[in-house]
Amino acid sequence: MDQVKAVSARLRRWGMAATVAIPALLAAAGPSWAADEAPITIVINQSPWFAGFQKTVELYEEETGNSVELDVNPFAGSLEKQRSAVRAAESPFDLLVINAGFFVEMYAGGFLQPLNEIDPDFKLDPGIYTFDDSVYWNAETKLPDAQNGVLLTVPINPFIPLLHYRSDLYEEKGLSVPETWDQLLENARALNDPPAMYGIVQRGARGAFDVTYDMLPYIGSHGGGIFRDQKSGDFTITINSPETLAGLETYLKLAKEAGHPSTAGQSQANVIQNMATGKAGHILAVLAASTFDDPNQSIVAGQVGFAPPPHAEGHPSTPPLGHWLGGIPKNIPADRQKAALAFLKWFQTEAAQKAYAEAGSPPVSRAVLESDMAKEEQFRWMGALAKALPTAQLTFVIPESAEILAITELGFNQAISGEVPPARALNRMAEEIAAVMTKAGYDAPRLDPLPE
Amino acid sequence: MAAADTRAVARAPAAGPMRTAALPGERGWRAATLAPALVVFLGLTLLPMLNLLVLSFHDVAWAERTASWSFVGLANFRALPGDGLFRAGILNTLIFAVVAVGLQMVLGFGLALLTSAVVRGKLVYRTIFLLPILIPGIVIGAIWKLMYSFDFGVINTITGLLGFAPQDWLGQGHLALASVIVVDVWHWTPFCFLLLLAGLESLPQDVYEAAAIDGANGWQRLVHITLPLMIPTLVVTFVFRMILAFKVFDEIYLLTGGGPGTATEVISFSIYRRFFTEDRAGYGSAMSIVTFFGIALLIILITAFLRRRETGR
Repeated sequence: MDQVKAVSARLRRWGMAATVAIPALLAAAGPSWAADEAPITIVINQSPWFAGFQKTVELYEEETGNSVELDVNPFAGSLEKQRSAVRAAESPFDLLVINAGFFVEMYAGGFLQPLNEIDPDFKLDPGIYTFDDSVYWNAETKLPDAQNGVLLTVPINPFIPLLHYRSDLYEEKGLSVPETWDQLLENARALNDPPAMYGIVQRGARGAFDVTYDMLPYIGSHGGGIFRDQKSGDFTITINSPETLAGLETYLKLAKEAGHPSTAGQSQANVIQNMATGKAGHILAVLAASTFDDPNQSIVAGQVGFAPPPHAEGHPSTPPLGHWLGGIPKNIPADRQKAALAFLKWFQTEAAQKAYAEAGSPPVSRAVLESDMAKEEQFRWMGALAKALPTAQLTFVIPESAEILAITELGFNQAISGEVPPARALNRMAEEIAAVMTKAGYDAPRLDPLPE
Repeated sequence: MAAADTRAVARAPAAGPMRTAALPGERGWRAATLAPALVVFLGLTLLPMLNLLVLSFHDVAWAERTASWSFVGLANFRALPGDGLFRAGILNTLIFAVVAVGLQMVLGFGLALLTSAVVRGKLVYRTIFLLPILIPGIVIGAIWKLMYSFDFGVINTITGLLGFAPQDWLGQGHLALASVIVVDVWHWTPFCFLLLLAGLESLPQDVYEAAAIDGANGWQRLVHITLPLMIPTLVVTFVFRMILAFKVFDEIYLLTGGGPGTATEVISFSIYRRFFTEDRAGYGSAMSIVTFFGIALLIILITAFLRRRETGR
């Protein structure tokens, strides 16, 4: 009997020891199979950088044991899903990946939870780009504001348009990387041999933020734009300024003299397809290095060089910011907000940013972009991106961007297709933008119409 | 006898249990059995329409996660005539519907006539002709977009072999709408074919036998027997297709996105842009209401016109 009692006592002790030891062992064994956070769903668009993001998310799951589901959509579809989600009683998504063209709508509508209200100690890593302070929002002035605003998002992707050129053909023909539009035109003419090779393929099709986005480097680098200076509250409409017209005419000249015969119908997918199949000498597009360097998707692997967008004489290169920001909706429970922030915290670490770059997507960390990685052939695009980012500009700091983009997408497409002459297209856009701005209560003076 | 007597019988109070006056309790039962259908109708059809109508007199803005509706009266409706996208959408939709449905009716009727005359293998022909209608819209978009591609499309490859210069089928203003119409004709002709073949096969054969005895040739049988007898089926098919053609969206969305410029902008796509992409719920509702009543009126007029021609009154 005593023996039975002794065995029983020993078993109890082992049991108690096991109760303490097993969780400790589980924790020590690493988070790969013990999730700390609630599962999250990220709503995101299908872009050239998505594959890299997906791989990075898989790494996060592997390292932390946390579960992430990706809801992948076309560009406009992603925006519509995000709108529906944040306006519902409870959002099905925990992290919204929002484009630069539409983030103000989310900020001004009060849909995003300030990140320091989820975790008061959370700080944006100083090495992460803030993209013209677009991660901060001042609800009083209704402007992005690093000094007095609250932190609403963490950058996910640093997209700006870059010049992609055929480095092998450059070498063969002894061309230099262009810095101005005139130099680009010369080089494009030199490579133009349609239909086997187009000197340049430009996106001209309209969409949600398509042709406007690709037109902005031309316009901005001639001193033009949609508004004079939104961040200082000057909403003078400059889309029909002589400078904007000069930018549009530069785009059209390239299209006419060395471009694709169907520029007005070219979507981003067409542009990338033309480069990947060896039919484009140049494209001006968001970074698609991972596609072009993949021999399974491209016949020009290793033959594409990258440079900042050209500019007009006397003006700097002014690529529009087309970056993506990760924001957490207000209308989800606290544990899901915490889980989404846990992902963002992990994502901004240098290790995660390096992994992100290695997976084929451009990082949002200056430290990684300017690191020794940039010297490797595989990451040769990093130098161009790091050089172009400092002069990149936000296109909109007002929530009416969707309405204005609808006007510019149609107007630019009509000018490119020849349906409407350039000056008339710009005058019409100015008139329509003025109506939107007046209705929304802005003081938005117009310039005199351009001579038609 | 008997015509007068027949009318007398028809007018006489009906005998038997089906025609007796309803008892008070029976009325209640009838109302109770109809009520679920009425509730479904109100909930799924009338209420959304009323909501759309109310929305069309408002602008909706969002702040602090709250939608604020501001009454704007008829402002949204007054803005419609000045909206270039809306005007282009109306015009292109009309062109698209008339040309596409016209071609589908002619081709569908032709194929139905040929198939009905086939003695052996009718099922095979019917299956082949029906295939396009079974393919999902998204697949059709992908197939035709590839075929129309300027650089990689099979159409330009074939025309190139024949010595013609490549054409930008979806990217040139004067070709784009016609190219989309071709896709729609390919997609929807089987629908017309199916309905019209069913109509042809249900025509009374004794009329054709009598015509054959009288020595009528094929053309005369078509013009004097088949077409007059088929008019009810043709009208129904035409109206069905017109309704669907006015609602065209997927082909435009997938093939051209309404471009180049406004060359293929159709009204459903304009509403989608205004309502969803631009997030202008009030204005988008006004567009929807005007489009709904416009199409309804047009369909009523077309139907009345065709009925009048059918009856000769």
